[in-house]
Amino acid sequence: MLDINNLSASVDGKKILAGFNLKIRPGEVHAIMGPNASGKSTLANILAGKSGYKIEGTAIYDGKNLLDLPVEERAQKGIFLAFQYPLEIPGVNTNNFLKISLNTIRKVKGLKELDSLDFLKLVKEKAKKLKINENMLSRELNVGFSGGEKKKNEILQMTILEPKLAILDETDSGLDIDAIKIVSDGVNSLRSKERSFLIITHYQRLLDYIKPDFVHVLVEGKIAKTGCGELALELEKVGYTEMEASK
Amino acid sequence: MILNFNKFQKTNQSGSELNNIRIKNFNIFKKKGFPSKKEENWKYTDLKTILFNNLNKLEIPKNKKTSQYNSEQLLENFQHNQIILVNGDFVSSNFSFEAEEKIKIKSLKMVLKDKKIFKKIINYFTNQQNSLVSLNHALVNDGIFLEIEDNYSFKKPLVIYNFFNKSSENKIINNKNFILLGKNSKLSLLEYYKDEDCVKYFNNAVHNYSIQKNAILKKFSTDNNLHNSYNYHLTNVKSYSNSVFENFLFSSGSSFIKSEIHCDLLESFSSCFVNAIIFLSNQQHHELKTNINHRSEHCKSSQLVKSVLLDMSNATYQGKIYVEKNAQKTDGYQLSKALVLSKNSAFNSKPELEIYADDVKCSHGSTTGNIDQNFIFYLMSRGLSKEQANKILVEGFLNEAIETITETNIQSLISKLFIDKINKTKF
Repeated sequence: MLDINNLSASVDGKKILAGFNLKIRPGEVHAIMGPNASGKSTLANILAGKSGYKIEGTAIYDGKNLLDLPVEERAQKGIFLAFQYPLEIPGVNTNNFLKISLNTIRKVKGLKELDSLDFLKLVKEKAKKLKINENMLSRELNVGFSGGEKKKNEILQMTILEPKLAILDETDSGLDIDAIKIVSDGVNSLRSKERSFLIITHYQRLLDYIKPDFVHVLVEGKIAKTGCGELALELEKVGYTEMEASK
Repeated sequence: MILNFNKFQKTNQSGSELNNIRIKNFNIFKKKGFPSKKEENWKYTDLKTILFNNLNKLEIPKNKKTSQYNSEQLLENFQHNQIILVNGDFVSSNFSFEAEEKIKIKSLKMVLKDKKIFKKIINYFTNQQNSLVSLNHALVNDGIFLEIEDNYSFKKPLVIYNFFNKSSENKIINNKNFILLGKNSKLSLLEYYKDEDCVKYFNNAVHNYSIQKNAILKKFSTDNNLHNSYNYHLTNVKSYSNSVFENFLFSSGSSFIKSEIHCDLLESFSSCFVNAIIFLSNQQHHELKTNINHRSEHCKSSQLVKSVLLDMSNATYQGKIYVEKNAQKTDGYQLSKALVLSKNSAFNSKPELEIYADDVKCSHGSTTGNIDQNFIFYLMSRGLSKEQANKILVEGFLNEAIETITETNIQSLISKLFIDKINKTKF
């Protein structure tokens, strides 16, 4: 599904990713862990198409180099980034925005656009599962939402847009234990043979709920170690520094 | 450009009193000329140059009514009373939703000929705010005189249609409207401007409102259906005890417009709200100037002006709050926010507070900037094109002002015009 090859990225001459390789097959859940400033969020941003990075290497997705595609085309082709810091966008109504987003993506997929009634029905159902108060959705996008509400709103968007590859950038940070469980249930309900996940996190805790197929440790812009779920447990015990030393 | 006043006088024989007013005021205008940027109030809008460059064949219209309009232009699916002006001339009125005996409606032309009623408004002709007002006194020919009796509330809104047809090409149109609300009366009013075939003219209009004790005037104005026209709309409001004046302006159609609103809060507990959207593209040039004068205690005023500028457009908001020494307990507020979306467009903002009382609450704020690129990235990461992302952000930005409209059916009407405009705009 996604084949990242020798990816390097720098900002203002400072190298953040250096020779990063990763292969994600359909249906797989990959977790990326790593210390602060190891390049995790940069990876997520680059895959979603944020500008401002000097990039080398390729990321082949569905036969095309993702890195050459405009931001909206990536989203339309099934890439979804759950932001680490979801933005508050004043004036933009959440439901209205989501409807435009969903219908744009449906159109590209060759599906019929949803009318307001069907759309609201869908949102209501998905919001209920994530225990999101639907009144929030008639408000301005994320404006005045708590940190947890914003994160849940990202997951709601994901469950509605049904991407092929979902990238979750530290979705667990700032969530209480109950919210982590709700969010994880949301992710797990979407798991399927065709859909893949790239989960970026600092803590092993999230991976208790979302069982990854692979865990990668990102250090200084490249993968230092890859393992299965147990690697995360081991990391939690010894920490990144010690693991790096034993490398 | 030379305005032939002598010819105008010959064809518009009026009583000696009015005639003297005309001569006096035309001489004042001749001395001052059209306002230019040398004057503080016209610093950002050099009307003299603008007219010279765009309407240098400007002339006074002949004394001949040209009242054709297309009735398909009237608003549909919206119950309303109506007054129709074509090229500033009073054509017809219809108040079928109202108790007509409570309303006095006359064309200004009639009033100017009727000594008795003319006395009622003669004081307004001493106003010398600027040379354009003097010119309007000198050349006024028609307009509206509307009086609403005490204790009468309109059941449906009143739409004043301001149509301009081909005969207005290269003409200077000087109409005056008088709308007087009696005690405890209530009126919602929409000034709806529409031109035919993109005619080019200069409309120098003076609107006078008097809002007596406890009366409520909600006034909305849209120039969205004007194209190539040049306008100066001066609105003078006198507010008496406990009255409410609510004004919303959707400024986005004409090539040039300067809207000037002066509101005198003459008696205590009166209030004045002026909210506006300025949404421009191409080479449009719009200015809004507000003067809110707190002349008595416990009055309240607020302004919210939101502007979006594209291409080579230019907009200005000059907002002044003046608080007299005896106007204690004044509550004054003003906020201007502008998005300047092209490097060739410009927004000028000049907030002014002049306060002589010592127990008041007054504040103002003004921001000008571009759309946050992180917002655009967020929306695009959800599949929206850059165009869609800009659109939804601008719509949200301007909507804040539309939401201040308290009259729901007028809100949805203006909202519809606004969405049409957004959808037609290339971001």
